[in-house]
Amino acid sequence: MTRYAMVIDLNTCVGCNACMAACAMENQTPVWKDRWRTYVHDKEIGTAEEVHRRFFPRLCNHCDNPPCLTVCPTGATYQLDNGIVLVDDELCMGCRACAMACPYDARYEVTFADIERGRDFYGDLQRERPSMDKCTFCAHRLEQGLEPACVQTCVGSARMFGDLHDPEDPVARLVASGVARPLLSHLGTRPNVYYIGDLKRRG
Amino acid sequence: MDVTMTYATQDYWTWWIAVYLYLGGLGAATLTVTFLTDLYLKRHPCLVMWGAISGVVMLGLGSAMLFLHLLDHVAVFSVINPLVLFRKPDAWIAWGTQFIIWMMWWGVLYALPYMARSEAFLRLPLVGALLRMRWIAALARCCERYHKVVGWLATVNGIGTAVYTGLLLQSFPAVALWHNPGVPLLFTVSAFSTAMAYLLLVLHVVVRREEDHGLRVFYERLDLMLIAAELVILFSFFHYMRAGSESLYRSFELLWNDWGWLVGFIGFGLLVPFALELKGVLRGWGSRMPIVAASVLVLVGGYLLRHYFLAAGFYAHPW
Repeated sequence: MTRYAMVIDLNTCVGCNACMAACAMENQTPVWKDRWRTYVHDKEIGTAEEVHRRFFPRLCNHCDNPPCLTVCPTGATYQLDNGIVLVDDELCMGCRACAMACPYDARYEVTFADIERGRDFYGDLQRERPSMDKCTFCAHRLEQGLEPACVQTCVGSARMFGDLHDPEDPVARLVASGVARPLLSHLGTRPNVYYIGDLKRRG
Repeated sequence: MDVTMTYATQDYWTWWIAVYLYLGGLGAATLTVTFLTDLYLKRHPCLVMWGAISGVVMLGLGSAMLFLHLLDHVAVFSVINPLVLFRKPDAWIAWGTQFIIWMMWWGVLYALPYMARSEAFLRLPLVGALLRMRWIAALARCCERYHKVVGWLATVNGIGTAVYTGLLLQSFPAVALWHNPGVPLLFTVSAFSTAMAYLLLVLHVVVRREEDHGLRVFYERLDLMLIAAELVILFSFFHYMRAGSESLYRSFELLWNDWGWLVGFIGFGLLVPFALELKGVLRGWGSRMPIVAASVLVLVGGYLLRHYFLAAGFYAHPW
């Protein structure tokens, strides 16, 4: 069975934010209120001449043990067999418990007002109901044999997408080698987004 | 991987969820204490009616706060349906919603026989007509016959609701202040302490009967013990937070340097009422005002606890 995962190489992310733009257009996110399914943090680390600029992309980690799914009272948050965590807009009542539970700050509100605004902004809007939205790993694109929009558009090839259960997959190899590591693994969420660190290489 | 951490509080659940947690715990504990008093201490129709009505109103108001806060009010029906417990037994909001709904039903049913005999209720325009209906009268007789069963069903749901308010916060693993077994314990003790305070107010201000003196003293003693227990739990929290993770230590810095928490909640919400009630239990008071004041302070403190707890939860973001 496929187990989807993403590896993000912080060494090659140039902070162009093309992933954010591609995701926003693909998934019609409420960018007018600065809400994104994926976001690239721009951070300076260090002081004076020793300063490093780090671009840190983040998104839903599609955890194997997702706390957002556990706390969801309606069952709107659910998980596919391939590991992708999705939200059913029809079932979501927007209590925001998922946002409270998520350690990766991956949930955001889409309100009725956003849907109205979205119709003007995007034209043919795909959603009818409000919900606590999140990244889907572009599940609709995967069904068509395409990569997630953020992966396909990444100019530095910082984002890699693959199947953890395929030992020949480059993503699975990176994860198995220990080079790519998950965030906040001590929380027991078993995330499926992995990062290759940059600070050691930069000295 | 080396990460640089950012620590942040949240603005998803603010004061209105604090009101929901507060009124949920207070309302449920009020109903529970009232019914257990009526069942095992002293038959007290007046207290039952006051406890039941105010408890149900509190639960209703608290639930309204959560409901108003929702993004899609229509989708709430899937949680109101009891079958949600089979679909989502791992979600505490599902349990809490069912506890609250059933608590309200059992609360009304337990008080129904008393209301059906109460002249005051029978005189009320709509309520009186309802209570005189044949099927309501039959239902009241049935509830009277099985009042112990109804009382215990209410009690189980009441305790469930009080514990749930803490379990809900405990289910968020990202925040060290919330994700520990002390939270349900603290919230449950606080819920029952505020319920004692509320019932003391009722017995001192509304139902002022000489024959209830023993009951008032009993409630004061219980509240005293509950406040003491709350102080012990908070003392444990103080030490747990002081030497915990960075997220926890940020919460520690925020809470234990805040005058609203220290003076408002710990001082006026716990220590002052404790002193007033201790004096009342040991030597008595010449007037009812000190206990009334202590009760009001405990009630305000109960809200402050939840407000500050929600506000002080720190997330550790690895970016």
